[in-house]
Amino acid sequence: MPVRLIKFALSKKHPEPPFFRQPDQLKSSYDAVIIGGGGHGLAAAYYLAKDHGITNVAVLERGYLGGGNTGRNTTIIRSNYLTPEGVAFYDASVKIWENLSQELDLNLFYSNRGHFTLAHTESAMRTMRWRAEVNKQHGVNSEVVGPDDIKQACPEIDLSCAGHAPILGALYHAPGAVARHDAVAWGYGRAASNMGVEIFQNTEVTGLDIQHGRIVGVQTSRGNIKTGKVLSAVAGFTPRITQMAGFCTPIVIHPLQACVTEPMKPWLDTILVSGSLHVYVSQSSRGELVMGASLDPYEIHSTRSTLDFVEGLSSHILDMFPFLSGIKVVRQWAGMADMTPDFAPVMGLTPVQGLYLDAGWGTWGFKATPISGKTMAATLASDKPHDLIHAFRLSRFAEFELTGEKGAAAVGH
Amino acid sequence: MRLPHQPGEWIKRGSRVSFSFEGKTYSAIEGDTVSSALWAAGVKVLGRSFKYHRPRGILSLANHDINVMVENGIDINMRADVLPVIEGMALKAVNTSGSVARDYYSVLGWLAPFLPVGFYYKVFHKPKALFPFWERVIRRMAGLGVMNPKAPRVVSPKQHLHCDVLVVGAGPAGLSAALAAAKQGASVILADENAQLGGTLSYDHAGSGEALDLLESLRAEVAAQPNIAVHLSSYAAGWYTDNYVPLVGPQGMSKVRAGKVIVAGGAFEQPAVFRNNDLPGVMLGSAAQRLIHRYAVKPFQRAVVLAGNDQAYRVASDLLAAGVDVAAIVDLRQDGKGSALGDIPLYSGYCIEEAVGGAGVEGVRICPWDGQGKADLSRAVFIPCDGVAVSVGWAPAAALLYQAGTKMSFDDACQQFVPERLPADVFAAGRINGVYGLQECLADGERAALAALGVAATENLPTTAQASHPWPIVEHPKAKNFLDFDEDLQLKDFANAAQESFDNIELMKRFTTVGMGPSQGKHSNMNAIRVLAKLRGEPIAKVGSTTARPFFHPVPMGHLAGRTFHPERHSPLHGWHQAHGATFTTVGVWQRPAYYGSDKAAAIAAEARAVRSAAGMIDVGTLGKFEVRGPQAGEFLERYYTGHFLRQRVGSTRYALLLDESGVMVDDGVVARFAEDFYYVTASTSNAAAVYREMTRRLQTWGLDATIVNLTGSYGALNIAGPKSAEILGQLTSTDLATLANGGAVETIVAGAAARVINVRFVAGLAYEIHAPAQTLPQLWQALFEAGQTAGIKPFGTDTQRLLRLEMGHFIVGHDTDGLTQPLEAGLDWALANDKAFYIGQRSLQTQARKPLTKKLVGFTLEAGAHPLPEECCLVIRDGNIDGRITSIAYSPTLDKVIGLAYVAPEVATPGSQFSIRRQDGVEVSARVTATPFVELA
Amino acid sequence: MKLLNCPINGLRPVEEFAYGGELRAQPDTAACTDAEWADYVFHRNAAPGLKQEWWYHVPSGTWFVAERNTMTDRVERTYLWGEA
Repeated sequence: MPVRLIKFALSKKHPEPPFFRQPDQLKSSYDAVIIGGGGHGLAAAYYLAKDHGITNVAVLERGYLGGGNTGRNTTIIRSNYLTPEGVAFYDASVKIWENLSQELDLNLFYSNRGHFTLAHTESAMRTMRWRAEVNKQHGVNSEVVGPDDIKQACPEIDLSCAGHAPILGALYHAPGAVARHDAVAWGYGRAASNMGVEIFQNTEVTGLDIQHGRIVGVQTSRGNIKTGKVLSAVAGFTPRITQMAGFCTPIVIHPLQACVTEPMKPWLDTILVSGSLHVYVSQSSRGELVMGASLDPYEIHSTRSTLDFVEGLSSHILDMFPFLSGIKVVRQWAGMADMTPDFAPVMGLTPVQGLYLDAGWGTWGFKATPISGKTMAATLASDKPHDLIHAFRLSRFAEFELTGEKGAAAVGH
Repeated sequence: MRLPHQPGEWIKRGSRVSFSFEGKTYSAIEGDTVSSALWAAGVKVLGRSFKYHRPRGILSLANHDINVMVENGIDINMRADVLPVIEGMALKAVNTSGSVARDYYSVLGWLAPFLPVGFYYKVFHKPKALFPFWERVIRRMAGLGVMNPKAPRVVSPKQHLHCDVLVVGAGPAGLSAALAAAKQGASVILADENAQLGGTLSYDHAGSGEALDLLESLRAEVAAQPNIAVHLSSYAAGWYTDNYVPLVGPQGMSKVRAGKVIVAGGAFEQPAVFRNNDLPGVMLGSAAQRLIHRYAVKPFQRAVVLAGNDQAYRVASDLLAAGVDVAAIVDLRQDGKGSALGDIPLYSGYCIEEAVGGAGVEGVRICPWDGQGKADLSRAVFIPCDGVAVSVGWAPAAALLYQAGTKMSFDDACQQFVPERLPADVFAAGRINGVYGLQECLADGERAALAALGVAATENLPTTAQASHPWPIVEHPKAKNFLDFDEDLQLKDFANAAQESFDNIELMKRFTTVGMGPSQGKHSNMNAIRVLAKLRGEPIAKVGSTTARPFFHPVPMGHLAGRTFHPERHSPLHGWHQAHGATFTTVGVWQRPAYYGSDKAAAIAAEARAVRSAAGMIDVGTLGKFEVRGPQAGEFLERYYTGHFLRQRVGSTRYALLLDESGVMVDDGVVARFAEDFYYVTASTSNAAAVYREMTRRLQTWGLDATIVNLTGSYGALNIAGPKSAEILGQLTSTDLATLANGGAVETIVAGAAARVINVRFVAGLAYEIHAPAQTLPQLWQALFEAGQTAGIKPFGTDTQRLLRLEMGHFIVGHDTDGLTQPLEAGLDWALANDKAFYIGQRSLQTQARKPLTKKLVGFTLEAGAHPLPEECCLVIRDGNIDGRITSIAYSPTLDKVIGLAYVAPEVATPGSQFSIRRQDGVEVSARVTATPFVELA
Repeated sequence: MKLLNCPINGLRPVEEFAYGGELRAQPDTAACTDAEWADYVFHRNAAPGLKQEWWYHVPSGTWFVAERNTMTDRVERTYLWGEA
C-alpha cells in the first residue's frame, strides 16, 4: 500500500491543497498571455516558468480547464510518423511523457501498451515499411510485423476481418501508450500555478490589440490586458483568433467523434488502428473500450455527434472483434479538429509580431502536449522558432514546402 | 414475497419460469424481471458496488442505476431491473470476488479512508517502476463484466421509419399527446422503454383504482387509432440533426425520421443522501410501487417512508394497500404538507440520519434537522424496519432535449430544470416540463401535440410547486452517504474535490467521476449540482449542468452495426477469370485478377514470358472512361490536363496528366481523339470517380460548351500486348493496325462488335487497348483468346502488369508518386505544356520551379546477388541522411536482373551513378541508376 | 442524420452527398503574385459563419452550391451553379 495514502486516513480534514489558484481579477498587464487553457496552453505556461523563468503569465480559458480537445481525445501517444521532422518531434514528446507523471507528481496513468497500425492492402504495407524505415533511422522502435505477431499481442482479433479485409501485417510501434487526458491538463496547470502563473477560466478573448503589426494587448470578457507576447493554443477555435489577428491559415475545422463502451474486465492490452477500416481502439484502465474513426467530412464548428459515426464504427469493430456484439456503447462525443492540408501542425511565428501560434493539431494533438508546450515556450521566450518546429512554420504553405505526413495520419490517432 | 393478484399486473400468473442466480435456482413468473423475481424470493443482496463492493439491492427498478448488473457467460453488464426472466437463465452478479453474498473485495470498504476522491492521481506513479504493477491491479479491480471472446456475432436488423410525430414516452402525457396528434390526422410513432404502455399509470396508484381505469381507456383509444404505431421495450437512444431518433428495442434499432418530436419521457426519481442510504431495502418510492403493481411483489414487511414531497404520501398509500406495515412517515419538510395517513406516525421536519444494518436495512435513526444537512442527534429516534421508501424529488429525463439544443433553466418553484427555449420541431410534455399531477400531464400532452401540429399555441402549464425537495441531503461524520451509486461517491467527495479546485460543474464531474458511470448521472447529477451550488454559494441556475450526450441507455454494438454490406464490383469478364483460375485482388471495390493460378511467382513468370515472347491479355475494364464531346471539348481538356489537346490530331492519343491546384500529380491516363468534337479519356481505376466528379464541376465553372459522359461502368476494356499482339488482333478486325502505330486510335469493329482500339505502350512496345460496351466484352475477349491460342497467348493479371510496366520504366501514380510528388520530380517536364494559358496546377508549378528539386525519380538496377530484395519504400541513404526511397522493385525474368524505381538526390540522378539502399534488415545494398525503359522496345 | 436539399432531387440524407469545400474566386493566374496564388491554394477564412459551399449529390452526379452556416450547420438555401 503506497505510503502516501496513509495521510488520507490519518487526517481529519481532507489534506489536499488546491490544484491551482483562481485569482479574482485579471491584472492590467502580463509579460505573456496564453489563450487556451488546455493541455498545450498549460504545458506552455509550465515551460515558460520552468525553462525560461517567465512567470508573470496569464492563461485565459473561455470554458473550463482542459475542456476543449484535451478532454475529448482518445488518449493515444505515439511517434511512428512518416517524415523525419515528424518523428523527431513526436519522439521528443514521448521522451517527456515517459517521466511526466514523476515530473508533475501527478499520476497521468501513462501506460505503455504498444501500438499496431494494421495494414489490409499491399499499398498499406508499403506505407508501413516506409514509416518503419524512417522511424528506425531516428532510433524510434518501430518495425513491420506479420499477422502472427498481431495475433500474439491480441489473440482475440479476427485477422480476416470477417473475410472482407484480411490483415496482411502491421506497423508495430513498441513505445505506443495511452494516458489520462484530463489529468495532463490538471498536472501542467497545477505546476504552472505553483510557479506563479495565473489561470482564468470562463474568460473569453474577444479581441486582440495590434499596433503597427505588433501585439500590444488582449481584450477579454473580464477586462483588457496589456502584453507584448501572446500564444494562441486554442485548437478548434484557431480561425476565430486568427481572424481577430487579421491573417489566414490553411486550418479548417471538422468535428472528430469518439465513443466509449461500458467498462469490462481487462482483455485488450494493446492499441490497434486500422487505416482500411478507419477505426482505432484501446481499453482504458477503467475497463472501457475507447474508440474513434475518421474525421467528419465537412466543416462544422460544433461538437455534435452523429448516429452514422457510431454505426459505421461498430460495424468495423465487430469485423475485427465479432464477439463484441453485446458490448454496449455508453456515450459518444466530439471535438473540433483544426485540420491542415499536410496533416502537420502550424507552430511558431505569425505575421503579427509577438503573436505565436500553436495550432493545426487535427487528430494528432494530444500526444504532442509536452513537446508543443516546451517548444512554444522556447519560441515565445526567444522570439525564434525552436529547431524542432521549423518544419511546421505557417510560411511553409506560401513556400510550397508542405510536410509529407499525410500517409501517417491515415485514420489519425 | 409475492402478493395476491394486482389489477393491471404485468406478470402472467399461470406461467412459471425457472432461472439461477449465483448458483441457486429460483422460480419466477413470466413477466418478472430478474430483480423483481429475486426480491419476490426474498433475496436482498443483488449486487456489489463498483468501488467499495458494498452490498446493494434495488434502487430504482427502472434502469436508472446499476446496483444490479448481471452476466451469463456470454452477455455481460445486463441490467437485472429490466431484464425479463427467460427459462434457464444462469446469472451471476458482475465484479465480485467470490460471490455476491460473500465478496472478498468488500475489504475495500474498510480501506475507504485511505481512498478519497481522486486518490489514484496522487499515488502509484512513484516509484516509476512500480506503476505497471499498480496499473494491472487497478485494471483488474475496475471493469464490470468479463468479456467472452467466444460470444457469437449477432446480426441485428435495422429499419428506417418515418412519421409526422414521434412521441417519446407513453405515460399520461405521452399517451395524451399521441392521441391528440392522431386525431388531427398525423401519423404517430409512440415509443416507450417499458414492456407495456402507461408510465406512472402502471404503478403510481396511491391505493386507488383510478389510474388503472384511466390507463385501460387510454390503451383502448390508442389501439383504436390506426395511425398510431406503438413501439414497446424501445428507448429513444438519442436525438440527431433533423429529428432523427433511433429507437432501440431488444431485437434491433428502428431509425425514425420525424416531422416533429414530442419528448414526454418523464423524470427520474432521485435518491436522498444519508449514511448507508445504499443498504438493500432502501429504495426509491417509485421502485416500491413498481414492485407492487407491475410484479405483485411485496417490497417490505415493515417500512419507513422518507418524504420530501407530496408524492411520498401516494407511495405510503400504495404500501398500506399492499399490506406493508408502514412504521412512520419521515417528512423532510418542516411544514410536512401531507396529512397523516390514518394512524401512521408522521415526523415533520425530520430526516433519516443513518440507515442501520448489515446485508440489508434493519432500521433507521431519524432526527429533527435544519433542512440544510445538519441533524440534531440529541432527539434521535430509532425505528426498526426492513425497508425505506424514498420520495424526495425528480430530475427530468431531458437528455434528448439537451441534444436537440434546448435551453433548460432551473425552475425554483418546482425545483427542477425545465425547458426554457425549445428548438424548432421539438416539443416537451409532462414531468419534463415540471408538470406533475395526472390531469395536468394529460392536458400538457394535448397542448404539446396541438402546438407541434401548428393547430393551437397555448400557454405552457404552470410547473408544480415543490415537486422536489431542494436539499434531501444529510451530512454525517462517518460518511457513506452516497450521491452516485454507480461510482460510490459520497457527500464529502464533492467538498474535497472543490477544495482541490475542481469546483465548476465540468471539472467536478471529471475529477469525481460523478455521472460518468453506466447510468450517466440519471440518479446523481441533480444532487451533485445542488451540492456544488452550495459549495460555491451560488444559485443552481449559475452552476448549470453537464452536457447530455447520446445514448440515453447504452446501446449494444451489434444493434449499431446491424447487417453490414461489403459491395464488390465485377468486370463483365469476372466469370471467365474465375473459370480460368484467377487469384483476385481488391482494388477499391473492384475485384481484379492479380495472376492466374495458385503459385504466385510461377504464374507471374509464365505470364510475363508470354507477353515478352508472344502475347498476353489483361482485363482493364475497371479504368475510368469518359467521353468528352462538344464544340469546346478540346478547350476543356486543354485546361483540365497538362498537355496539348486542342491541336491533337484526330485518330491519335496523348498522355493525360492531371494535377491538383497545388501542382501535385493526382492521376494519369490517355486521351484519344476520335473526331473534331469528340475525345475519349481514360483515368486510373482508383481515381475514376474523383476525376469525373471534378471534371463536371470544372465544366460548369468554366462555362464551356461540352458534355461529359461517364462510361466507367458501362464500358469494358482489355489490353493485348506482346510481339504477336498485332498479328492476333489483326485476325479479328479489318482495320490495318499499321495505321495505329505510335499511339493511334480508331473506332472500328473487332470480332463483330463496335470497339475503340488504341495503341498504347504501357506494358510492352507493341500493345493495343480495346474499349467496348460491357456486354460485348465476353465475346470480344473470348474471340481474341481463341485467335491467340496458336501464338501462345496467356491472360495476365495486375501483379504481372506491375512487373511488365516496370520493365518498360513506367511509373504508377499513387505507387511511385505520393501526396506531394510534383511532375518535375517524376521527370515529366515533357508532359507540361507551359505555353498554354492555363491548366490546373500550372501556376503552382511556376512558383515551385524557382526552387531547386530535392529529389528525382530514376530507374535503377541492383548488383547481382542482393538477397533478400529490399522491400518497396526502403530508404535511399547518403552520408547517413535520407535522400529518398525505392518505390518499385522486382526481379525481371526477362532481363535476369533486379530492376526498380527510386527517388534519389538530383545530383545522383544520372544513369551510371551509384547509390545506397538501406534494406529492411539494416544492410546497405548498392544500386546503379539506369536509363529506362529497361527492356528493348518489342 | 442531417438532411440536405439537392436542387434537383430534393431532401436527401447527408450520407448521399460529398462536400466540395468553400466556393472561392480564383485569382487571375497571369496577374497574381506567388504569395497571392499560394494564399488562394492553401489559406482559408475558416471562422464560423455563412459560407457558400460546393456540394455534390453522388448518386445523381449533381453539383450545386449550398449557403450554410458553419456554426449552426443550418443550410439557408441550395442552388445550381449559375442560378444564384
